[in-house]
Amino acid sequence: MADAAIHGHEHHDERGFFTRWFMSTNHKDIGILYLFSAAVVGLISVLFTVYMRMELMEPGVQYMCLEGARFAASDATCTPNGHLWNVMITYHGVLMMFFVVIPALFGGFGNYLMPLQIGAPDMAFPRMNNLSFWMFITGTMLGVASLLSPGGNGQLGSGVGWVLYPPLSTTEGGYSMDLAIFAVHVSGASSILGAINMITTFLNMRAPGMTLFKVPLFSWSIFVTAWLILLSLPVLAGAITMLLTDRNFGTTFFDPAGGGDPILYQHILWFFGHPEVYIIILPGFGIISHVIGTFAKKPIFGYLPMVWALIAIGVLGFVVWAHHMYTVGMSLTQQSYFMLATMVIAIPTGVKIFSWIATLWGGSIEFKTPMLWAFGFLFLFTVGGVTGIVLSQAGIDRAYHDTYYVVAHFHYVMSLGAVFCIFAGIYFYIGKMSGRQYPEWAGKLHFWMMFIGANLTFFPQHFLGRQGMPRRYIDYPEAFAYWNVWSSYGAFLSFASFVFFIGIVFYTLKYGKRVTENNYWNEYADTLEWTLPTPPPEHTFEILPKQEEWDKGHSH
Amino acid sequence: MPYEWTGTTKEASEKPGASCTFADGNPPVCTLSLWPYRSLPKRGFVIFIAATCILLLLPLLPLLGTPFVWSLLPFLLGAVALIWYFLNRSYRDGELLELLSIWPDRIELIRHNPRGPQQEWSANPHWVRVQIHPASGPVPSYVTLTGEGREVEIGAFLSEDERKALFTEINEQLSYLRP
Repeated sequence: MADAAIHGHEHHDERGFFTRWFMSTNHKDIGILYLFSAAVVGLISVLFTVYMRMELMEPGVQYMCLEGARFAASDATCTPNGHLWNVMITYHGVLMMFFVVIPALFGGFGNYLMPLQIGAPDMAFPRMNNLSFWMFITGTMLGVASLLSPGGNGQLGSGVGWVLYPPLSTTEGGYSMDLAIFAVHVSGASSILGAINMITTFLNMRAPGMTLFKVPLFSWSIFVTAWLILLSLPVLAGAITMLLTDRNFGTTFFDPAGGGDPILYQHILWFFGHPEVYIIILPGFGIISHVIGTFAKKPIFGYLPMVWALIAIGVLGFVVWAHHMYTVGMSLTQQSYFMLATMVIAIPTGVKIFSWIATLWGGSIEFKTPMLWAFGFLFLFTVGGVTGIVLSQAGIDRAYHDTYYVVAHFHYVMSLGAVFCIFAGIYFYIGKMSGRQYPEWAGKLHFWMMFIGANLTFFPQHFLGRQGMPRRYIDYPEAFAYWNVWSSYGAFLSFASFVFFIGIVFYTLKYGKRVTENNYWNEYADTLEWTLPTPPPEHTFEILPKQEEWDKGHSH
Repeated sequence: MPYEWTGTTKEASEKPGASCTFADGNPPVCTLSLWPYRSLPKRGFVIFIAATCILLLLPLLPLLGTPFVWSLLPFLLGAVALIWYFLNRSYRDGELLELLSIWPDRIELIRHNPRGPQQEWSANPHWVRVQIHPASGPVPSYVTLTGEGREVEIGAFLSEDERKALFTEINEQLSYLRP
């Protein structure tokens, strides 16, 4: 029999640093681990972009030389090293897609906040949670190893683009490509296990009385994201396994000489790839909903349509994949279908944007740092969405395909959309997570630097794309020089803001003003995490929360 | 409500002549089952798995009849199998069941653990003490039963309000047996 344990709160945390962080099964600790790891990998892949923007600042090749990579201008002769460039774009893409944004939003915020918001004591499978995290780290290590191991052209790393299209990827020399495939395999397995954990937690561990349509929007977004991961990543695993056997075991899945079809790889990849972009952005939508509700001091407008919009975006995301590949020779009917289906996504997305605007309408808006980021997100995501509608037209896409217009579009929705969500989330929750508050002026300065920098980087790329500048090249004709130099200035400013942000985080964790209130914003931050002490104790909601603690009745 | 009473000790106490004791091999006059709360009904499980399977079919349909099916299928089936297994495992984790049976001469608590051996405790209800510990237990309003030299917990996984109600109800049932 379970003998009674009435020794009260004698539970002291006697774990050492190693036990606490390396063997953690606590969802809050694992969430924080995810956030920090994603930040480290993020820094690496941001450094790549800075190097790329340095190279693109002026026509001609100044830094990525066959004579050796340079980081300062020099008069010595420089033979362009296209492989190095290709490696940079490849690893920037792979790292950002698989190892930065998903781990930060889904792994980090999802792990930390979702169980809190639904009143669960932890994830359904805490030890599997630990496994997911360490598989993610293993995947990252494999990715970095791939960067540093012998690849094509007798150099290090693979320069095949993050989509790993055959025949480029099947003919790339060395074993770097194989390591990259393993990296994606392992991180995919990690994401699938994580997703299963999230789904089970969400479905089976909600507080009593919390029916599906009373769950906070962020938790909903995490659930839809987890479901998308569960549905799409196995497809990717299949695709890259075929790449692996094509490379190493002589199969010809994607080799026309043996009866294979390289276009089919594109179909399978984008069947995963399109849901992937929603996997990246949906948790961001969730965070933004809470931030906007809190700082407009109004419950979020249209809770139910917001939830259905999340679900609709998730489902529609599965039936539009071929809009990434209009130019591969599909029939007119196929293209018309994918074009129409793609444009339909604007409807649920519009529902969300308009609901956020309606929440702001008549609200008492307070421009705290998280709200600034949310506004930035709203503006930038809308810009990216509008260029998305432009690109969705199969005819117009003929002109824009593989130009910088596309680069500008997807960076507006992902780099600016998702990353602004991450920053909004960090400023919103850093006090809750650490018990210390960031300096408000610093957060605002970070925002304005990043906002101006990011727009300066990517807005001119629309012009470049319209002028016909193709993406994925190390060099360009002089005609494109004007906007490229502005774009590079923007990238440097954004990078400076990122470095400043790292400073803010460490300052906050060490010297930030202590916050002790449970809810240091206002009563419109009304989800369950705000009923907990700041920072939350190690174990939370071991006692089921009462309905009146979370059910304010007005937001659903 | 994750706990349920069947029967009451009231009738047994009103008919002192009738034999319903444990010693005579009678069934308990009153039982109480308690289980932890789970938020996904079985119906929800079916809907979720069905929707997942339908969406997973999408990428397979155009590939039917090609060898590609065989390289995708194991991964897709694997995903379904995994989510199926883990949802069921989560149900099983919730299959913790505490069963309290009361006779006029015996009180018995059996705890069926989802993994691990069953735990048992029994005592004479006349001497059993039901206690509620407002703050000193691992959870607020921790309810315990003391008897036969042992103190055991009951319903630690319930919500606080449920435990408070439970405390009153167990006491009520026991009070009928103590004329």
